[in-house]
Amino acid sequence: MKYEIKELQTDVLVVGGGVGGLTAAISVKECDPDLSVTIIEKQTTGYAGKANKGGGVLQYFDLSRMTPEEFAEYHVHAIGCFLGDQDLMIKYVSMNNHMFDKMVEWGGKLPKNEDGSYRVMPTGPMTAMITVDLDVTLQFRRTAEKLGVKIFDKVTMSDLLTDKGAVSGATAYSILDGTFYVISAKTVILATGSQNYRIGSMWGSGRGDGIAAAYRSGAQMRNAEFGNFAQLVKIRSHNEVVFGENFMHNRLNENVTQNFRKEREPDISSTAIREWYVQMCEGNGPIHLDYGSQAWGGGERGGHGGGNAKPSYGEKFRMLNMKAAMNIDTDLEVCPLFLGEQSPVKVGHDMQTSISGLFAIGDASYCGSTAPGAVPAPPGRNRGSGILNAVFSGIMCAEGAAKNAKTAAPRVDKSQVEVSLQRTYAPLERKDGCTAKDVIRIIQSAVGPMEQSVYMRADRIAKALDLVLQAKELAKTMKAVDFHDLLACHEAEAMVLSAEMQFRAAEMRKESRGWFLREDYPEMDNDNWLKWIIVKNENGQMTFSTEDVPYEKWAVKPQGK
Amino acid sequence: MIDTKHTILYDSEKCIGCKLCYKACFVDVIRWDETKKQPVFRYVEDCEHCFSCQAVCPKDCITVIPDYSSERLHQTFDCYR
Repeated sequence: MKYEIKELQTDVLVVGGGVGGLTAAISVKECDPDLSVTIIEKQTTGYAGKANKGGGVLQYFDLSRMTPEEFAEYHVHAIGCFLGDQDLMIKYVSMNNHMFDKMVEWGGKLPKNEDGSYRVMPTGPMTAMITVDLDVTLQFRRTAEKLGVKIFDKVTMSDLLTDKGAVSGATAYSILDGTFYVISAKTVILATGSQNYRIGSMWGSGRGDGIAAAYRSGAQMRNAEFGNFAQLVKIRSHNEVVFGENFMHNRLNENVTQNFRKEREPDISSTAIREWYVQMCEGNGPIHLDYGSQAWGGGERGGHGGGNAKPSYGEKFRMLNMKAAMNIDTDLEVCPLFLGEQSPVKVGHDMQTSISGLFAIGDASYCGSTAPGAVPAPPGRNRGSGILNAVFSGIMCAEGAAKNAKTAAPRVDKSQVEVSLQRTYAPLERKDGCTAKDVIRIIQSAVGPMEQSVYMRADRIAKALDLVLQAKELAKTMKAVDFHDLLACHEAEAMVLSAEMQFRAAEMRKESRGWFLREDYPEMDNDNWLKWIIVKNENGQMTFSTEDVPYEKWAVKPQGK
Repeated sequence: MIDTKHTILYDSEKCIGCKLCYKACFVDVIRWDETKKQPVFRYVEDCEHCFSCQAVCPKDCITVIPDYSSERLHQTFDCYR
């Protein structure tokens, strides 16, 4: 089959039109209005991504009550467990007021008090939240367009192009008519989200295609094993119950939260998932929530509350969802749902990957930046950190991205383009084969069960990895019937890749730390595992190595170190 | 989610062709018929019941009826498969 080929040139290519990609595009334009900036988005910029589908919650740091250093110390002990970059966390917290002011400048609607201050809801001694209307990404899109950012919707990236170890652009295709794009760019910013394996509803857009493209082009990955987030959901509507882990009761109406949580903790923990699994195995299930008896003193109930006085854009979604589920959820029985949130593209403080000129932001590189430490992010046991980190990393990348785009025009390697063209359309060229969904079903059966992905053990990891390798073989035979299906095939390939690196890295990390929980290695091992696992594609082989965590240079050190 | 069985009801009489439902769908369930200036619900089996299309429609043309039982939870225990 012949495909139409179009060539594009841009100084900066942003891949992904969610909140991170839009922030980066706007910030680069603010740095240097003369640079040409282009966004490609596989669906529709402003409607894509997760920021406009969740609770509209932003993490907020009240810098009049604490210093960034104090938060970083709290985070190390309560969440990051010595695996997080404390300097990056301090930068993130320090930028709080600037980020909120920027969001308002770009059109974000944040609730304010009569005196003009933001309406903030304290959620703990160190944490607070603020709501944002879910039209935030649409407002950002308008701002980006006013600044001259060009937007191509329904165009999905296929491969990254490189020249002498630096990025030189990307290939892409239209999911509507299959037009193939060869895009020459001096800087490429990946804002493609995390890997969520198409299991949870609002997480459906994160399918790891940007992560996979970065991996294929040789970019290093870090903390891939922390791609195993799960949340408690109501068993019928599958609606998430935020903070529900504080109210868990078993069939005998025993408070089982007390088995894993003695005092107030930030957000859901993998120990809550373990407790659910153990209770189920012992025949004490099902687990339900009972808000009548507090699991710990003074805790808050689920939900985020607050908001604007008049109904907001986001209220419509919430009302429709609530209405549809109203007669379905007859009780508060819950079970965990695997969400994933793998965000492993390795980046430095400027959000540049290990490939020169290639940047990765938001949920593509949250764990890869190491800022959240030993926890899948977002939310990284920090409710509201997803949107705020996307804004943070979008701003952080801008200066370096703009500076890099001042370099000479890159050379697009025609042979790379040809290889990408063949790879991209291969599933459409096959006469027969399996479907993308045949592959995805197997991957979901590997990552989905809590005992395989969250409460892990060597034999269960091996079982999951075996399924992933079956899916990997099957994926070589995928056949697509149209361009929508072609995208599903590429996403399935990305899911295979993410799952393989997740389980192989999980097998390697022989300890428990933070969210990472192994039944066979229940203790945190600071003697051997103050390390990050690095994953890399070397000539088609997935290789693993470790990098020592440089805790010596940070203020908060592990005991005895 | 894959292979869901959610239902999307659409009233073409009330539709003004604003294209918002097509734009709002983040999983490519909805395509756009440029001739008729109307949405085409082409890949309903990929619907994630996010209600975006229904919420943005200014004329209330769309109703999403979720079939929650068609959404897999992927747990090992039979009751949560």
